[in-house]
Amino acid sequence: MNNALLVVVIAQGIAYGTPLLYAALGELLAERSGVLNLGVEGMMLVGAVMGFWAVQRFHVTTGVALLGAVGVAAFAGAATAAIHAFLVITLRANQIVSGLALTIFAGIFGLSSYLGNDLDLAKSPARHQFQEVFPSSWQNLPVVGPIVFGQSVLVYASWVCVLLVALYLSRTRLGLNVRAVGDAPAAADAMGLNVSAYRYAHTLIGGAFAGVAGATFSLSITPQWIAGLTAGAGWIAIALVVFSFWRPTLCLVGAYLFGAFSYLPFALQARDYSWAPPPELSQSLPYLMTIVALVLVSSRAARLRFGAPAALGRPYVREER
Amino acid sequence: MIRIERRLEQPRWLSVVVPVVSVAFALLLATVVLVATHHPPLHTFRRLFEAAFLDKGALTETIVSATPLAFTGLCAAVAFRMNLFNIGGEGQLYAGAITGATVALLLGGAPSPVVIVAMMLAGAAGGALLAAIPGILRAFFSTSEIITSLMLNYVVALIIDYLIFGSHSYLRDSSGFEASVFPQGKTLPDSATWPSWTIQGLVIPLGALVAVAVAAGVWFLYSRTRFGFEVQVIGDSARAGRYAGMRTRRKIVAVMCLSGAIAGLGGASQDGDFRHQLDPRGLIQANYGYAGIVVAALARYNPFAVLLVAFLLGGLQNAGYTLQGADFPNGLVGVLQGLLLFCVLGGELFIRYRLRFERRHAPATESA
Amino acid sequence: MVHQHFRLVEPFTVAENIVLGDHRDVGRTFLVHTRAIERRVADLSERYGLAVDPRARIWQLSVGEQQRVEILKTLYKEARILILDEPTAVLTPQESRQLFGTIRAMAEDGRTIIFISHKLNEVKALADNVTILRRGRTVATLSAAEAARRSLAALMVGREVELATRNDRREIGETCLALEAISAEGDRGLPAVKSVSLGVRRGEIVAIAGVAGNGQRELAETIAGMRASTAGTIRVAGKKLKGGDAREAIAAGIAYVPEDRLGTGLAPGLSVADNVVLKSYRRPPASRGPFLILHKIRELAEAVIQRYDVRASGPDVPARQLSGGNLQKIVLAREFSGEPVVLVAASPTRGLDVAAIQTVHAYLRDAAEGGVGVLLISEDLDEIRALADRIAVMYEGVVVGERNAETATVEELGLLMAGGE
Repeated sequence: MNNALLVVVIAQGIAYGTPLLYAALGELLAERSGVLNLGVEGMMLVGAVMGFWAVQRFHVTTGVALLGAVGVAAFAGAATAAIHAFLVITLRANQIVSGLALTIFAGIFGLSSYLGNDLDLAKSPARHQFQEVFPSSWQNLPVVGPIVFGQSVLVYASWVCVLLVALYLSRTRLGLNVRAVGDAPAAADAMGLNVSAYRYAHTLIGGAFAGVAGATFSLSITPQWIAGLTAGAGWIAIALVVFSFWRPTLCLVGAYLFGAFSYLPFALQARDYSWAPPPELSQSLPYLMTIVALVLVSSRAARLRFGAPAALGRPYVREER
Repeated sequence: MIRIERRLEQPRWLSVVVPVVSVAFALLLATVVLVATHHPPLHTFRRLFEAAFLDKGALTETIVSATPLAFTGLCAAVAFRMNLFNIGGEGQLYAGAITGATVALLLGGAPSPVVIVAMMLAGAAGGALLAAIPGILRAFFSTSEIITSLMLNYVVALIIDYLIFGSHSYLRDSSGFEASVFPQGKTLPDSATWPSWTIQGLVIPLGALVAVAVAAGVWFLYSRTRFGFEVQVIGDSARAGRYAGMRTRRKIVAVMCLSGAIAGLGGASQDGDFRHQLDPRGLIQANYGYAGIVVAALARYNPFAVLLVAFLLGGLQNAGYTLQGADFPNGLVGVLQGLLLFCVLGGELFIRYRLRFERRHAPATESA
Repeated sequence: MVHQHFRLVEPFTVAENIVLGDHRDVGRTFLVHTRAIERRVADLSERYGLAVDPRARIWQLSVGEQQRVEILKTLYKEARILILDEPTAVLTPQESRQLFGTIRAMAEDGRTIIFISHKLNEVKALADNVTILRRGRTVATLSAAEAARRSLAALMVGREVELATRNDRREIGETCLALEAISAEGDRGLPAVKSVSLGVRRGEIVAIAGVAGNGQRELAETIAGMRASTAGTIRVAGKKLKGGDAREAIAAGIAYVPEDRLGTGLAPGLSVADNVVLKSYRRPPASRGPFLILHKIRELAEAVIQRYDVRASGPDVPARQLSGGNLQKIVLAREFSGEPVVLVAASPTRGLDVAAIQTVHAYLRDAAEGGVGVLLISEDLDEIRALADRIAVMYEGVVVGERNAETATVEELGLLMAGGE
């Protein structure tokens, strides 16, 4: 039962989807405030390397070391995002170029590899890593065992994060303000909200989430430090934000769907199905589905309901209102 | 309290001084990074410079790295000039590499000049077709070209993977045992090898010359033709373009196609000049498309400056490859490139705006 | 304060917009209590007759409903003084009547309402006291009951000015621009121009007077091909235009000086030279075939700079760096150089200094003397009376009257502009 293809793909889809979910939640928060950050991949890698470093250097019990590592990863991600925030919010630089520059600066040929090399982290396994938390008798329960109880703490934590972000955006005053800042900065400014402060805060929180997403790779999925270990997950996360129409709950569904798509080829390969479609097809589906979703919501009415925050990617300059 | 206000006049000297100061500032920051991680900065910079430009054969390798960057840089510059953010240069380059290699294999027996010209045309067409998708979506559905062109990069990367690793396609080498264990692209026929010229040990590939020609062509197109004039006007103010009776939608599609064609040409040059097969791993790992956007931004979208910046960044990249090793800080190249771009990008502000330092006063409140 | 341009977040619900930036009780809590807020909004909207569903999203609402949201916002915050800036400009007559009901209810509650309007019947219907502003100065304050429409109109437009410059006698030729029952929609999809018929003859200056926002801009854009008409035909020199196509309008000989100089009339980041050939770049001498001839463009630009005395350090300076008067000179020079049949000038002197205004006036007269039919859109009656042969007054998208410039009085025109007849 628990070896059935569907169960395995869902269980693994959740595991593979978790870093996507963290990164996408972060990007979602940044984009909701009006800041497009294409540097997710770079921030993830910096988070991954610093999280891994923390786990290797903190000589404490597993739980504390991992908690500390996630904290360090989040801080590293936020610090990386701060560069982007300063450039696009204070210096009003082009958000696309700055985001790409961030990826290059921090990515596989940049800071993350520099740090990984300098801190001598490659080629050693993680001293501590995230593991399944529930007893194995629970994990052996049919269907729900592997899917619900066979996951690491990071997965359960991500569910809490989705809930918190969803409630934050829809039910709290701050969330309401953020959405106003991203959709109509001039109106928000007129209402006495500090547009720059909201954007800074959410870009940094976005970076922190991306850092945690990176740590999910280096401490749970891989789990070791390899330069460029995220392998494009940051870009899928950006697609995911679009695909989920900037909504945290849809983000969860999309992340697991995309995670399952990326795991499906391996599952099929292992089982030797003769009719297996090429893995590239299922891997390209997230991107194609994102394009289709974007085209579908491009009419004005749909864009207002499902589309990007209206001021996404535009610097806010007060005189121009 | 610092206030930022728009400059009424932009003195000429600023557009020279600001980039220079920006680059110097980037080097300063890099020095800080190096010192903080216990690497001797001067020594490191000197080795980088030597490996990029002075060592034996270094210049040739730098041109190899710079050629694709010039293509993707021009690709980005052409589109960004009209405020069209085509970040699909990466995928458009792959597309050109695919169509270029296909045509080369199909025409294998034909005389070399025919094959080479056909490869260029096919590469340009492949890139243009791919770029037309986000272009049309933007022009007729106002779908953001940023996300669509970005997504297509990954789709094409998977297609190119599929052609070589996932299937027994026409492009895949299926001769012999080795080829079935380590899949790779079919070697292109000799007639598809682009010529190169050696001047005192410096090898100049045809692709580099094509890139220079394209840069000149883009410059001519944008500064001397009606088409370029319309692109400038629409890029500056779409309303003014409509006022003057310009066809904005057609121009969006045309510019996207042109941009994609240039990247596609770069893909064909990869096939013909350097790799002589469809090489998915090599192309995907190189990240030419994204680096090209950086090149274009550093060059402030000027085609000739793109060539210069591509040469310099190509040198940096080449030095990074050559110096890879235990004693050389890995990843320094990306850090340097990133810092350069951050500083130049930040410096732009000082050309367009000026800072006014003033005493903090109560922020102007507005009664609601 | 209720602005003419709404400050609303379109994807938000009415209730969310109302509570945004509110810093008291329900608004101050960390959580947004949607139900409580919606209930309060519903209460308020019932009390003041501001029918709007608190759960509806802004973009789904009509402009009138959006305005009610703006008013609800101020009521929700318990504002004692409300400023309404031309609130009826975007409303239908029925919506306006509803609004007046709301305003009276608010006044009865002891709130102070400052109602900015140019429409006399509104002022008469609503106000207790009227203050008249002209050119930034208070002209008079009087009680609405004792003010007659005619005297209010006179105060608004000012005294009769002696016009010294009316010494021109121009040859008036055949009709070159004929508008036949033109209708067009505004940016929000509401009818802005309603069945306007008007003719302009060669050598004639016809002015469209009216307070801004009464459909003049939309009419000008329709003639210039930047806006599609919903009904009616435009004929230039007898030839019917398809409409909605700026290139066709340019080819037919319509020159257009838009209200928005920098951004529409000129590309701000491009050089003076480029802007001089913004419309003529398709033809010789600026281009041959697909190629531009840069030295010719430069010569053209230098000629313009010289002949029209444009204060710019050269043809390569970006347009954004020039002053308003110099920008307008470039626009006018370019539009004249196209040898137009018709010239549409929308508020051509707005924001200019006295010297620049005189230059612009001289250009317009020159154009008419050269046989061009000029359609001048302006709010300034002095300007109109100094230039025009005929005056049409637009009010709420309709031409409410046409007068001969020599016989029309300022009072009469002011009354028409304010919808007084």
